[in-house]
This record gives sequence, structure tokens and C-alpha cells, in this order.
Amino acid sequence: MEEFLQQLTNGLAVGGIYALLALGYTMVYGILRLINFAHGDLFTLGAYLGFTLLASLGLSGLASGLLAAGVLILLSMGLVAVAGFLLERVAYRPLRKSDRLSAVVSAMGASIFFQNALMLVYGAKSQVYPDGILPEASLILLGTEVPLTRFLMFAASLALMCLLYWFVNRTRVGAAIRAVAIDQDAARLMGIDVNRIISLVFLIGPALGGAAGVMIGLYYGQITHDMGFTFGLKAFIAAILGGIGNIPGAMLGGMLLGIIEALGAAYISIAWKDAIAFCVLILILIFRPTGLLGERVADKV
Amino acid sequence: MKNSFCRSPVLSVIATAILLLYANPAFAGVIKIGLMAPITGAFASEGQDMQKIVALMVEEINKAGGINGDSIELLVEDDGSTPRSAATAASRLVSKGVPAVIGTYGSAVTEASQDIYDEAGAVQIATGSTAIRLTAKGLKRFFRTCPRDDEQGRVAVTTLSKLEFKHVAILHDNSAYAKGLAEEAKKLIEEGKSASIVFYDALQPGELDYSAILTKIKGVKPDAIFFTGYYPEAGLLLRQMATMKWSVPMLGGDATNNYDLVKIAGQAAAKGYRFISPPMPTDIDSPAAKAFLAAYRAKYNSLPSSIWSVIAGDAFTVLVSAIKAKGTNPSAIAEYMHQGMPAVDGLTGKISFDDKGDRKGDLYRLYEINGKGEFILQKN
Amino acid sequence: MNLARYARYRYFPLCLGGVFFAIMASIPWLLNEAGAPGSGIAQLDMLNKIGIYALLALSLNIILGQTGLFHMGHTAFFAVGAYATAILNTMYQWPVFSTLPVAGLLAALFALLVAVPIIRLRGDYLLVVTIGIVEIVRICLTNNIFGITGGANGIFGIARPVIFGLAFSSPRQQYYLIWGFTGITVILFYLLEHSRFGRALNYIKQDELAAAGCGINVARYKLAAFCLGAFWAGMAGTLYAANIRSIEPTSFNFFESVIIFAIVILGGAGSITGVILGAFLLIGLQDVFRDFSSARMLIFGAAMIAMMVFRPQGLLPARRRHYGARRYLGKFPCAVRRQCGAAYNPYAEDEGDCV
Repeated sequence: MEEFLQQLTNGLAVGGIYALLALGYTMVYGILRLINFAHGDLFTLGAYLGFTLLASLGLSGLASGLLAAGVLILLSMGLVAVAGFLLERVAYRPLRKSDRLSAVVSAMGASIFFQNALMLVYGAKSQVYPDGILPEASLILLGTEVPLTRFLMFAASLALMCLLYWFVNRTRVGAAIRAVAIDQDAARLMGIDVNRIISLVFLIGPALGGAAGVMIGLYYGQITHDMGFTFGLKAFIAAILGGIGNIPGAMLGGMLLGIIEALGAAYISIAWKDAIAFCVLILILIFRPTGLLGERVADKV
Repeated sequence: MKNSFCRSPVLSVIATAILLLYANPAFAGVIKIGLMAPITGAFASEGQDMQKIVALMVEEINKAGGINGDSIELLVEDDGSTPRSAATAASRLVSKGVPAVIGTYGSAVTEASQDIYDEAGAVQIATGSTAIRLTAKGLKRFFRTCPRDDEQGRVAVTTLSKLEFKHVAILHDNSAYAKGLAEEAKKLIEEGKSASIVFYDALQPGELDYSAILTKIKGVKPDAIFFTGYYPEAGLLLRQMATMKWSVPMLGGDATNNYDLVKIAGQAAAKGYRFISPPMPTDIDSPAAKAFLAAYRAKYNSLPSSIWSVIAGDAFTVLVSAIKAKGTNPSAIAEYMHQGMPAVDGLTGKISFDDKGDRKGDLYRLYEINGKGEFILQKN
Repeated sequence: MNLARYARYRYFPLCLGGVFFAIMASIPWLLNEAGAPGSGIAQLDMLNKIGIYALLALSLNIILGQTGLFHMGHTAFFAVGAYATAILNTMYQWPVFSTLPVAGLLAALFALLVAVPIIRLRGDYLLVVTIGIVEIVRICLTNNIFGITGGANGIFGIARPVIFGLAFSSPRQQYYLIWGFTGITVILFYLLEHSRFGRALNYIKQDELAAAGCGINVARYKLAAFCLGAFWAGMAGTLYAANIRSIEPTSFNFFESVIIFAIVILGGAGSITGVILGAFLLIGLQDVFRDFSSARMLIFGAAMIAMMVFRPQGLLPARRRHYGARRYLGKFPCAVRRQCGAAYNPYAEDEGDCV
């Protein structure tokens, strides 16, 4: 039982990261019906920017480690948001009126571009965050010992998700985002500046990805230029699992995927863990073709 | 008009034509040596380091007057860490007429290029491909300066039993190399009944969180973990074991011989980690190794971070001495390297080859990481 | 010169194909005459690779380009074919050529098995499931499923193909084999595109409901498209295995699927000419940029974005079919105006199709 709880926390910690990334996929998809394949690489960019900021600004010298981590996350979020904004302008906006798959291919090109740009700038070797920024204490939760940093990471992703949920559902701008997602033309007629809303989404989604990147760097230490691929794919699957385009769905999907992976590794086989996750995904889609929380919409005639 | 030009396939046809006629003019009066290495892809860090080392050595030799008066031109081709790109890289090198090629890292990647070099009659010296089968094919011009998986498996199992670990967990990463080593070790342990294997599975490289796996291994209470994969995962495992406040001795294969392991794990967590590996240049007491290290430090301001790039340097040293003796005829070079070549002073010790093209002698040593993150050679 | 005008001419595809394959047939000779180093084996090797990708992309084109199914898992079928050949050849000593139809059939059978439950999924959900299938296949191969795939090592020592005592071993012979097969494929697929079956697929792509309304069994046609594409991908797998002679699971990862997918979309979905041009550009460019060393994939990525931004509909998009409706000009004016209308775009309005 203790091992089970331990695996559950392991799964939730990874799931929190998946969920945070899945939100980026889901928001962009909700508005543009575009699978932003470069999202995983924006996450990597965040991790690397955090690394550079840490090295150049000497943030690790700040009195409290947690404060330094917070500042670092916010700064990287801002920078990655700018990158996401530029990405949309250069690679997606010109394709908005054309075939959806063209934008998908453009996104793949952007993914290859970012990944290799990072490799050229930082080298092919993995980079390592300096040690000792975060406190090393641990908590006792439900009888199992959980490192404090792990708990904080989970709490921070949860907080960001709730913030986003509140923003989209309770503010005027959030209402505009939802309006654009439902019908762009109608939204435009209602006086909403659609382009601006899309740009905004491309600021928010990548910012969340950037936050996840820094958290990964702070907690695991090691970052590589190609890690966005694995994490991006997993997060994308999490978004689909929960029902793409749906914000609570992305959170649920992320957590669920993390737990499925951890329990699959623990009780079935580590080597087959990813295959198990994919099988679960396919089964869910066969029985609920729009994901867990996705809404069923009648076919367009 | 402009519009119709853009829309027509003319542009594409021009692009294709450039693509097809693309060929490098030949240079006269120089000796061409090929280096096929993973400059991009999964093993890019190894390949880029290999390129650095071999380029440095070429520069040194050319500065000293070349081989018998001829200067060396190094032709580098990227194998992209995949067999498919390797085949292309090999054809490109062959078409440029190189008599000898150094490379490459992954065994499957090397395998895809072996036939191409063999058919073209070029000498190939692999630098990181430890799969046994590569030299079992009877290719006359294929060599390697790295050891084989079975030797490493043997040394690993001897080490494990010498350290008296009774319950061993074996973890690999499902790559051809790591799985080969894990299977070899498992076989030897089961045959010798020196210990019992309480856990045998693979992790997924590139994932950062291995706590689920560690929790599972912790449940079977091993005396030691033998991890056969690469250094990034080894570093993460050590780090996460420390976070879990679980300490169990861990032994690794030669793919973990990389100073980045300490950076990833942190000095405290890396302390006590052992691995087996060919000796590093810092532990070789030869003038060649010392001079090389000094030159490398002067140029790149660091130490070579991986043993495999150093082994690529060894391949180059061997080639230079063979070309010095026999000229650039590949068959003559190969024959000389098989027999007649006196043991060459390399960066990892003396180098000579048996008739299959494998490197002679026991290469593996045991290393342990001390509290300062240094790799300390263990005396047996 | 306005190629677009000539392109309307009925026999244009035939002439274009003839000219293209005539040029391709003479390339080994040209390379030799031009004195390319090593009789051009580097160039031929690259063209062989392009040929295999062109075959894969042509087979994916039936599913993605003509039927409009978002399928990003084509490498799975390719892998099944390549492994079928490798296993039959190395374990049971079948000659490589006799494995060709078996590899195709196994891939098609596999496609049938996986496609039946998922064929009704729409748009992006189908896309993600097919990605899942690629990954599952790769993991199965890596974990040595049934003990016959050789695990992470893969399978090596695959024989060269031999027909009537003629071995296809040198890059030049391989070249004729691969491009000969591609030539036959192009002819067959061209005929297919203009057959009743091809028209039905096209109808499904344009409007699934209307197609169903016209009595087309949509699910069955989609399945048929899947199986046919998989069959060809399986045969491409045979050619690949015989060309590279050692196969291992990482050659069949998700990224390969992405590249094949990009070839089809970038070349022009539904257009055979476009798909072949796409293979030349995407696979050839990776090699041409080799001189940029470690920056080559960076430039490749940027080129992918640029090509999509400047030609969103693909380099050579499928042309609308003409049924000689001009003869009826004046009788059915609305019909004629529609068919001569501006560039059509099958996906522009289908935002709702997967929600």
C-alpha cells in the first residue's frame, strides 16, 4: 500500500507537468483547431532560458531559494511568451485561411527549427541547473514521504491551472477567448479583435509551457535540447485524452496520463509503460471518440 | 509573368538539378581521411566531441609537417545517429575517395555503413560500436579501437562478485548497446550463480522522472543496481535516489564515463558511484597521452568529456602510423594493422589488433567517483 | 511560358511522367559521364533514399491526400513490411523478392486490424491514434515481441534481392530497382485516381455525408484506402530492408512518420506529381544542407516553414478534375462556374469536423 501511494505521488508529479503543457496544446487547439507541434520545444526553450537567466543574473544569490525560483519562473514565462507570439506571427498567421494540415506541417518545421537552434546555441550536451536553489526538506503526506520540492512543483502547476481557469471563465477577456473559440466570425461581428485574442492565446499557452520547463530544470536538474519531443508528445496525448479544446480536460488528462504511466511501470512493466499509455488512449477514444471531457457536437451538414 | 514563374515547378527543377550535380572537386597532394560521427541526432554530444578531438590531432600533425610530407585533409560526415543517414554519409565519403574512415559510435549505425566501405575497399575503424557481431563477419578492412560487449559483461560480472553483491538489479535502457550488455551480464551471472538477479527491466531514456522505477526497484531490496545505459539517465537515477533518501551501491557501464554525470547527479549523490571503462587519458602514463591532454586543454579549455571521443583519437593515431608505414593503399594498411604493426601508443594505452580486427588486450578498469566528483581509477 | 496553361492539356500528366522517368533513367549514365566521384554513388544513394520515401509518400497520399484521413502513423505499416522481409529472409531463407507480396499483405492485414475500430474517429482524433500506433509498433519491436524482431539490435544480414540470377547489389542496380518500382507505382496510382474507386475516395474527402448519401459505403472505402496504402508501404519496407540490409526499431519512429506526412502536405495532397516533388525536396534538402554540418536541420526546419507559408496549398496541389464540362457551357451554367472557380480548399471550412 505504501508503495502504491508512493507511485501515485510519482505519477501526480509528472502528471502535473503534462497537464501544464497540455493546457498550451488545448488552448491553441480550441481557438485555431491547430495542433501546435512546436509547443514541446517552447517548453524546452523555457528550460534553457531559465538556465541562462540563472547563470547570468545570479538569481541563485537571492536570499530565499523559493523566491529566486519564483522570479525565475516568471521571467522565463515572459520570454517564452514572446517567442510564442513571434512563432504565431511568422509560422501560423499566414496560414490561417488555408488548409489546416499546412499549419500542422509548418508547426513541425518550427519544432525542428527550435530544437536545432537550441542545440546550436547551447551545444548538444545536456545542461545542468546549479544545485541547491530549492530546499531539500520533505513532507509526510498520507503516510508517505514526499520531497517538498516535488509537492511545491505540483502545487505551482495546480495554481497556474486554476489561475488560467479563472481567467478564461470569469473575466471579460476570457469570455472573448471563449467566443473566438466558438465562432471567429461571430466574435468579430461582436467587436472582438480576433487577431489580438489569438495573439493572447499564443502568449498564455507558451508561457505555461515555459513555466513547466523551468520547473523541470529546477527539479530534475538536467535539460536537453530534444526533451521537448518526448514531453510534448505525452502532453499532446494528455490533451486528447481529456478532450482537446477543453481546459479542465487537459488538466484531468495530464494527471491521468502521469498516473497511468507510474502504475503501469510499477505493476506491469517499465519497458512497456508507454505502450500501455497509448493503448489506454486508443481504448478511451474508441469508446469516447471525443476524449473524456470533450463535448459531442453533431456532425456538420 | 513573375507569378507564373513562382507557381511553375521551374524553381523546384532548378533546386533538384543543383541537388544532383552537387559534388566536391578532388584535391591533389593530400591524404584524405574520413570521419563519420553523429554530429546531430541522439548522440550529437559524442559526435561533436569526436570531431573536436580528431580535428585537433589533424591540426597538430599538419603543423608538424604531415605524414611523410603529405598533409592530411579530414572529411567529416554526419551519420545523424541513425543507420539511414549513416549509409548516406558512407557513400559520400566513399565517393570522395577516402582510403580510410574513422567511425562511428552506435553499433547499428556502424553496421549500416560496413558494407559500403567494404565494397569500396576502404578501411573502417569503429570507435564506439561494441556489438560483438560487427567483427564476426570476416570483413578484412574493419577494425575497432573500442572493446566488445562480451568483454565488458565479463568484467562487470567479475566486479560485482568481487564486491560481494548477492542480489543484483539489472536495469538497461532498451538501446542496442545497453540491452546487449545487460543480457551478457545476466547470462554470466546466471551461469556462474555468483548472485541472484532480483530485477531486470528497461527504462525509457529521455524521460526525466525515474522515481516510479526506483520505487519499484526499492521494493525488491537489491544489494546493488547494475545500470548499463548512458550517463544522463545514470545521473538522474543517482539524483532521484538521493531525493528518495535511498542509498544502494550502483555500478555502471562505460557509457556512463562522462563528467556530466556528476553535474547532473550533484557531487553528493554521485559519490561512491562505480563504473567500468577503458582507462582515461589522464590515467595513462605515456608522453602521447600527456601531450594530447595539454593540447586539448589549450585549445578547448576543458578535458574531453567522454571516453568514446578519446577512442576516436586512438583510431586516428593508428591510421597515421599505418599510413606512415604503408602509404594510402587500404589493403596494405589493413594487412599491416592485422599483423606487423608494432603496438601503437594510444590515448587509452597500447593498441594492436587481432585477425578479426578487434583490439587486443583487456581494456576495462574499475573507476569510482569520490566526494569531489573526480573519477578515481581503482587498483585491482 | 505559362506551365499552368499547358497543364490543362489532357495528355500533360502522361508527358510529364514520361519526361521525368526518362530523365531519371538516364541519371546513372549522366553521373558517370559527368565524372561524378565514385561514379556518383553518393548521389545515387541519395536518390535511392528519395525513391523509397517517394513510394511511402505515394502510398500515404491515397489515405491522406485522396481520402482525406488524417493519418500520421504510416511508418507503422512501413515497419511491418520491412520486418516481414527481414524475418522471412534471415530466418526462413526466403529470397527477398518473394517476400515482397507477403510484406505488403501483412502490412495490409495489420492496417485492417488496427483501422476497423478507429475508422470512425474524426480528424485530429484519428491523427493521434495513428501516432499511438506508430509508437506501440516501435515499442513492440524494441521489446522483441514474439522473440523474432531482434529487439533494439534489430535484424541484420538481409540478403540482396535477386531476380532471374540478376543481383541488385550496387547502388546503381538498387537505383533501377527502386525507381522502376516507383514508376510502376505512379502508373497504377494514376489509373486508380481516375477509376471509380479513386473518385469515390475523392468524394469522401470533399464531403463525407454527401458521399454516404450517394450510396458510397464510407467506412468500407476508408478501410480499403487504408489497406491499399499500407500494402504499398509494406512493399516499400521490403525495398528499404533490401537496400539498407540492417533494420532496427529507431528507423521507424514517430519522426519518420512526420517526415512522410510533411512530404505529402508540402508537395500537394492528392497530387502524384506534387508528392514526388515533395520527396525530392524534403529528403534531398536534408542531404544538400549537409555542408552546414550541425546547422543543417535548423535550416531544414526553417525551409519547411517557409515552403508552407509561401505555398500553403502545397507545391503542386491536386488540380480539380475536368469532365469536359465546357462542352455543356450555357446548358448548366452554375455547374461550369463552380468547376472553373478559384482554388478550392477542402479543409478551410471543416473546422467543426472533429469537435
